[in-house]
Amino acid sequence: MSTVAGTLETDLLLDSARETPATLDAFLAQVERRAFRMAELNLRHREDAMDAVQDAMLRLVKHYREKPAAEWPPLFWGILRRRIVDLQRRRKVRSIVVGWLGGGKDDEGSEMPVWEPADRGPGPLDRLHDSQSYADMAEAVKQLPQRQREAFMLRMLEGLDVAETARSMGCSEGSVKTHLSRAMHHLRGQLEDWR
Amino acid sequence: MTTPGNNKTSDNQAGAQADPRDELIARRARALYREASLRIDPATAGRLRAVRRQALDAAKAPQRHTARWLVPTGAFAAIAFAMLMVWQPLSHSPSTPANHAISTDQSADVDNDLPPDAEKTDPSLYQNLDFYGWLAANNASNNQPANR
Repeated sequence: MSTVAGTLETDLLLDSARETPATLDAFLAQVERRAFRMAELNLRHREDAMDAVQDAMLRLVKHYREKPAAEWPPLFWGILRRRIVDLQRRRKVRSIVVGWLGGGKDDEGSEMPVWEPADRGPGPLDRLHDSQSYADMAEAVKQLPQRQREAFMLRMLEGLDVAETARSMGCSEGSVKTHLSRAMHHLRGQLEDWR
Repeated sequence: MTTPGNNKTSDNQAGAQADPRDELIARRARALYREASLRIDPATAGRLRAVRRQALDAAKAPQRHTARWLVPTGAFAAIAFAMLMVWQPLSHSPSTPANHAISTDQSADVDNDLPPDAEKTDPSLYQNLDFYGWLAANNASNNQPANR
């Protein structure tokens, strides 16, 4: 099987941690770090990423704790995805407002960077051995359109199956496959020299 | 998600990418993502644990249904009390003459044994007291044999 999904299948089956725990505490403990990394990859800001994870956890516990454990992963990743989108929209609106108020350009008329609070926390690059590869991947993923990025992250990085990815994204399985195919096409071009 | 890999076979047919580089990209990206997730700094990991506990504690905390109902119940009680206070003075206001007469008649039955109130009784009653006395005595004497 020479396909991406086939390769990942082997990885996923070997990964015993992929079994959904029976308790919500154990499930959240299992996904919290990956959720943080996923939010961080999307938002590029650690505090916003932490807020998104916190909100996703709270909503899952509050509204879906009675659901069967098998339904938690797509629910959780779906909540997190929506929260990330909300934060991105809020950030965009904030940038527009700052632009209207004249904050978009300095005194000499040069464009100011989009207003975002500084993120001075230790990033993944500080600790990751293969930091350049991760940086390349993060940059390439950032360049993807929103839906393609979501499909790639949920399906390829997080390892949800197509049906779960579709549930998390709120679209059909066919749309997931289309988004994923286009995402892989883009990434092939972006990560030409990736090692 | 019981076993995420279970459905991959069917996914391959539609979501498959024939390009061999896709396999490398997917495997490498996933490995980096997992490694980055494992290598989170202790401070951030601690915050994530605190966030998780906070979320779970919020669910374990007793639902404050009583507190939620106290405000509307109190408001309803206050409104009911206010309406009662408004309504009661109205009910004690001077009633119509007809009502007053009815109530007087009703109370008369109850107060038969009491001496008549001089101010409320019809003045003509006092003018013919002798007649009423004779009528009462006559009626009593006529009724006695009949009762026996």
